[in-house]
Amino acid sequence: MIKIQKENFNVEEEINSIKKIHSNVGAVTSFIGYVRDNNNNTNVESINLEVYEKMAYKQFKKIIEEANIKWSLIDTLIIHRYGKLQVNDKIVLVASFSSHRKDSFEACNFIMDYLKKDAPFWKNEFYDKKNEWLTNTS
Amino acid sequence: MKIKYFAWIRELTKNNEEYLDSNEIQNLEELKKFLSTKYPDLQNHFDQEILRFAVNQEYVVENIDLNEDDEIAMFPPVSGG
Repeated sequence: MIKIQKENFNVEEEINSIKKIHSNVGAVTSFIGYVRDNNNNTNVESINLEVYEKMAYKQFKKIIEEANIKWSLIDTLIIHRYGKLQVNDKIVLVASFSSHRKDSFEACNFIMDYLKKDAPFWKNEFYDKKNEWLTNTS
Repeated sequence: MKIKYFAWIRELTKNNEEYLDSNEIQNLEELKKFLSTKYPDLQNHFDQEILRFAVNQEYVVENIDLNEDDEIAMFPPVSGG
């Protein structure tokens, strides 16, 4: 399932809503990304996340299909927020559902690597007196 | 054809999106030339090859032909996650 939304989300509810429809799931690996208060030794006050939504859906769908070829997955959840976010807010959740842990660990890592490199989102970070567009380094 | 701009490219062009005459622009290289004439500040970024292009929501790196109904996007390196 892919969700691109402004709203916050509850990690446990989101994972449970998928887990409960698959009784063969024995392993869930999740990654949660948050807005942190410091970047390059500068205090961050908030961020604004911009998205190319149509492309993000298409690319997420593609990366889930690729993960399904590489690993034995039962389901995958990607939630990525956009808009104005404050320090400590959640940005992203990726959860991989499989029978055994190796598939879910590796698939979750693979999806996050893709997401940092190619998912069409842009962070504009706001500091005390200025703001700056970021570029992912890894 | 429609072209969409994101992040600081959107700020530089002062435009979210615009429609361009597809008779004048047959491929990606011609599009880059057209845009660097219209927005001279882009030239430096084209030279450094830091901008990314998508056609119909797929990344493109080669000089592909463009069609009238294509949705093109030009944007800086991403920073999601």
